Amino acid sequence: MKLFKRLARMEKMDLVITILVTILAICSLLPLFWLITNSLKPSTDIYKMPPDILPKTMYLDNYKELFNNQPALRWTFNSFFVSFVTTTLSVIFSALAAYAFAKLHFKGKNILFALFIGSLMIPKETFIVPLFKLVVAFDWVDTYQALIIPNLATCFGVFMLKSFFESIPNSIRESAKLDGASEWTIFWKLMLPIAKPGIGALFILNFVTFWNDYLWQLLMARSKEMNTLTVGVAGLMQEINPNMGLKVAGAAVAAMPMILIFIMFQKYFTKGIAAGAVKE
Amino acid sequence: MENKKSKKKFRGIENPYSGYLFIAPQLLLFLVFIIYPVFEGFRMSFFRASYHGEQFIGLDNYKQLMADPVFLKSILNTVIFVIAIVFLTIIFGLFVATAVYDKSAKYISFIRGSFYLPVMVSMVVMSMIWNFLLNPANGLISYLLGNMGAENVNLLGSKTWVMPVIIFVTFVGNVGQSIILYIASMIGIPEDYFEAAQIDGATRWQRIHKILIPLVRPTTLYLTVINIIAVLKIFVVIQLLTGGGPNNASVTMMYYLYQNAFVYNNTGVAAAVGVIMFVIALLLSVPQFKAFGKER
Repeated sequence: MKLFKRLARMEKMDLVITILVTILAICSLLPLFWLITNSLKPSTDIYKMPPDILPKTMYLDNYKELFNNQPALRWTFNSFFVSFVTTTLSVIFSALAAYAFAKLHFKGKNILFALFIGSLMIPKETFIVPLFKLVVAFDWVDTYQALIIPNLATCFGVFMLKSFFESIPNSIRESAKLDGASEWTIFWKLMLPIAKPGIGALFILNFVTFWNDYLWQLLMARSKEMNTLTVGVAGLMQEINPNMGLKVAGAAVAAMPMILIFIMFQKYFTKGIAAGAVKE
Repeated sequence: MENKKSKKKFRGIENPYSGYLFIAPQLLLFLVFIIYPVFEGFRMSFFRASYHGEQFIGLDNYKQLMADPVFLKSILNTVIFVIAIVFLTIIFGLFVATAVYDKSAKYISFIRGSFYLPVMVSMVVMSMIWNFLLNPANGLISYLLGNMGAENVNLLGSKTWVMPVIIFVTFVGNVGQSIILYIASMIGIPEDYFEAAQIDGATRWQRIHKILIPLVRPTTLYLTVINIIAVLKIFVVIQLLTGGGPNNASVTMMYYLYQNAFVYNNTGVAAAVGVIMFVIALLLSVPQFKAFGKER
């Protein structure tokens, strides 16, 4: 009833546009709907035209084959391990630097911060050739450190967390300091807990970024065992293998954790992304 | 005034080195994995690498690039890509955000979620889905188009259609971000503006056109810059959908760079492409920097 009242109050143009936007929003979910439903169909049904909207039965063989005959379990582990370690380290390093930029005084602070921010605008891909050469020189190819360490050099977190630390009043820090707390204690015991919402948002944003990374992982993971999910399933797709169901299930497995994370943490995303953008 | 004084007094009891210790890990990573590769990239672009080592060749890599029709095609495609994506993302983002910003919180989060989910699941998965759907032999879209009477349903194999299709796929996988940012900044606008407009009897369209769009200009600027940079590095869609084909019709600068670096082993040329892209990204970030400076 309430809905109808609200609809009746709207201007006509607004009503038409709202309906249109709602339809488009549903349409933008259709590719993912297609992916999930088709991963539960046998290959022959995926090819069937016109297609069944929903699978006739819960057909799980695509997933079984993916995890039994392909190293998909290892890929999943790699993705989780690499994303988790990269995210954790990156959040810690970013928080340390952001705190220093927000609250401490040292020479060259402004220039260094400007450099960090400047690097945000330069896509890593533009210097991927020398970066690749560097990691080859370290002899890291096909190892976890190759997948983790170079990705830690992103300064996005520093930028995002700095504003969180800045919003914490100086008086807190000063009184702790007068009580004899060391800079490290202040950071660890006082500042980090207060900045928790920002850290949480950054953690999720980073996790998604590292999970979805592709080009760098493609270059670094030489053996099939070192592949992450995105690289592994993209590789499956490029194989000449008529088993369509397997490929669809692979893509679905790569997508699922992100869908779950989004459903659980939607609030953080909208906040985190907005915090990373320019403030008005 | 009071605040400044206490700050100064406070500075006296602070260890001047702790700041450096706190930034040390991030700074080290920054120097090794960003600054060094950038300089090394510039250096490499003046050399030709071979089994015997490196040979200084000055600007030859750049000259070779300028004479390569595939590279020129990749620039043209990248420019088309950038213009189309920025235009579509901004217009569509504004369209959706202005339509929903004053609706109920639940509805807003439904809209945000629907458009953002494709961004979440990444271009890799989205490209795979579209590859299945567009497959000329057994894809759903090819089937539907065929049913509607279209003759050539191999969209990705058609020189005319390949770019529009890839632009569309990228747009769908990417527009959610602009919608989220626009909604966030529109919700942040103080109510007074709209109340005043309402008293003056402004229509919805006038409110959107005269208040909303001008007030979210910083977001528009930001989105323009990040979208240009994001499109500049587009790679996954091309690799998974077309491989740059047919006949280089969909090759982009990033794909060209990748091919030269990791397929043809032309590292000097690839480094030169990187340098060109680097300079473009740097130039684009200047207005953003200025806006950032003003804010402080």
